[in-house]
Amino acid sequence: MSGLIALIKRELHALWRSPWQLALVSYIPILSILCLWWLFSAGLPRQLPVAIVDHDNSQLSRMLGRKLQANPVISPQSFVDLSSAVTAMKQAEVYGIIVFPYELKRDLVTGHSPTIDIRYNSQFLLVGKLLSSQIQMTLGAGLLEVAGGKLLLQGVPESTISVHLSPVKSQTTALFNRNNNYVGFLVPPVLVALWQLLAMLIFSNSLSRELTCEGGLVPGAGVWSRVLAKVVLFTPILLIHGGFILALLYLYLGLPAAGSLALLMLAQFVMLLAVWLLVLLVFFIMRDSARIVSFGTAMFAPAFAFMGITFPVHEMPLVAQWWRLIMPSSHYVDSHVSIISYGAPWQTIALQLTSYWGFLLIIPVLVLLSRRLDIASPSCEKIA
Amino acid sequence: MKSVQTMTFWQLVLSELKAIVSDKAIAVTLFGGVLFYSVLYPLPYLHQVPTEQQLVVVDLDHSSLSRRLIRHADASPKISVIGQVGSITDAKSWIESGRAHGLLVIPEGFRRDLLLGKGVTLSYGGDASYFLIYSAVAEGLVTAGMDAGKQVQLLGMLAKGEAPEQAAQSLNSVKVNSVPAFNPSLGYTPYVVPGLFLLILHQTLLIGTGILGAGQWKARGYWSEVSPLQLISGRISAFMLIYLFFSSFYVGFCFYWYQVSIQASLGLVALFLLPFLLATSVAGIALSCLFVRRDLPTQVLLLASMPIMFVSGFVWPIALIPEPLIWVSQAIPAVPAIMGMLELNQMGASWSSIMPKWLQLWSLFAVFFLLALYGVSKRLKESR
Repeated sequence: MSGLIALIKRELHALWRSPWQLALVSYIPILSILCLWWLFSAGLPRQLPVAIVDHDNSQLSRMLGRKLQANPVISPQSFVDLSSAVTAMKQAEVYGIIVFPYELKRDLVTGHSPTIDIRYNSQFLLVGKLLSSQIQMTLGAGLLEVAGGKLLLQGVPESTISVHLSPVKSQTTALFNRNNNYVGFLVPPVLVALWQLLAMLIFSNSLSRELTCEGGLVPGAGVWSRVLAKVVLFTPILLIHGGFILALLYLYLGLPAAGSLALLMLAQFVMLLAVWLLVLLVFFIMRDSARIVSFGTAMFAPAFAFMGITFPVHEMPLVAQWWRLIMPSSHYVDSHVSIISYGAPWQTIALQLTSYWGFLLIIPVLVLLSRRLDIASPSCEKIA
Repeated sequence: MKSVQTMTFWQLVLSELKAIVSDKAIAVTLFGGVLFYSVLYPLPYLHQVPTEQQLVVVDLDHSSLSRRLIRHADASPKISVIGQVGSITDAKSWIESGRAHGLLVIPEGFRRDLLLGKGVTLSYGGDASYFLIYSAVAEGLVTAGMDAGKQVQLLGMLAKGEAPEQAAQSLNSVKVNSVPAFNPSLGYTPYVVPGLFLLILHQTLLIGTGILGAGQWKARGYWSEVSPLQLISGRISAFMLIYLFFSSFYVGFCFYWYQVSIQASLGLVALFLLPFLLATSVAGIALSCLFVRRDLPTQVLLLASMPIMFVSGFVWPIALIPEPLIWVSQAIPAVPAIMGMLELNQMGASWSSIMPKWLQLWSLFAVFFLLALYGVSKRLKESR
């Protein structure tokens, strides 16, 4: 026990002497977490510019224009001709074009059916899909009013008009994220991906300190007691970062959380252990500080894409689903959604945590690999 | 080691290339990283659009019309009805356990109320913990519901003695023709790949130049035999030679392979990429003067990649990003390059409209060149 305490003291000393490592555990996480949250802090897409080309200039087209103006998502910009609107769209100055055709009102009144053309920018998929549904919804509501007036003229009693117009009303509910807030949807997985990168970097740096220039082990205690000391020191530090993320999102910003945050901390703890195992594996195979970091980067950098939040897991190809299982963050994110959205009890989470079983297979490999690692001769000096 | 007199420019470039290829950490990042990421990053998105989302139905009506509505919903490509349950609570537990992603509630008396001419409300719910799933479910259900409503309306009109053609027309008085532009399939790889791949080129180039520089400042070698200006020019030429192939592979083959829409001509794309690659490589050289540890550049740039990706505006609209972040990000070559490239190549903007971004890249090149000149001469003086 006292040996372990001495080793932890040695780790703390090393941490204090390395400015970069110190930055990684202190201000870099806080700065990057706040920065990424700030980036998405708008939360709900609002006031997205949309070009309106009004060839009709009638009372009807102006009424529809006002309806669009009243939609919080859309910010209509008037364009006189189509070609300048197209140019603006190609330069991403507007995200969509709505064209009211010439004689829109006349055609409608005389019983023809005119066409309102909408083009939306689907290169920016997120904005495009949102605008497409909002524009159609707004125009639909505006046109219903016109149709209602027409029915009144035909002598339909006012009380039954709304039933005539839309006998089936629909009520669409976004379950677990009522107002489609992007902060609640996107920021937690982004921050978890960042947190996983930080954990990987901090642990790799700390392990690399044990290597000599020839890839041997610097003299001292046994390799496993050193690893244990690192785990004992860095797990709580990283859990503080993880706790900071949760506190920022669910306590300070007050995003809805159905389950208990303590349970989430447990899930974070298990995820950290899995990250440690992967980093150890890379460490024992590579045995060179720059290569450990390069390889760790290659593995963990795309973790966000594989979490299955932005693109659903069951739509991924099989290979992607397998690769996803290698990333500890994907296992964690499943528990995160269960707790935050569904308020899952600890039994469900315990069951989900068993999905980490594959990581246990790393342990025997580590034991085998660690035998290859010799304590270096004192002649070889450690690189700074 | 060659002396100053005999070292020609091409010999310098050759020794640079040798240094790049023989350094395992750089080779892993450059050759391994670029190839590996070209497969790994788009891997989850290969199926492009989420289809056949599992839906659970709560049918409280059990009428011919409710069954027809369920069949219509099932026929939608976005939705697959996987079962019926007796209550909303049961449906909720299906969603929480991940068996279903959405629910449809058909109220009691649905058919009777419709035939009596009373309005009814259908309730849809989708799991908004995953936005793409939610939008697919909502889209599919709204279309199915509208369709059912129209059929009832049509029946009602026909019963009142209206002529079939006229009835059909008054139901669709105005046609709304909404079409996605630039990414007609609404696919996920055309959305993510163009921006992401430029970012990968940017990050690997910065890391490569960063590691190469960081490893050299403390030692002596061919780099201490030449002037700073020669070293920078030689290094830029060497990396440009390598990235000529990488960018051709990414922008040429990968864009084609991942079905990205391409609008610009080869000459214009090359003309636009030239200052981007130049500015990035010289920025990497300037950055490398800040490091003497070879494992640091990778770490710093890894942590920077996610913020750069989100601030560049192809995932999250620029209009919603706080202004100060946008100002700061303009100094990163990837930011104007990604937006300019999207406008030029994916959205078909004219060259004159992206000219400001092209000039911005050239001025970044000039600024970073001066910084690199200052940094490299300082580092070379130190080592002498």
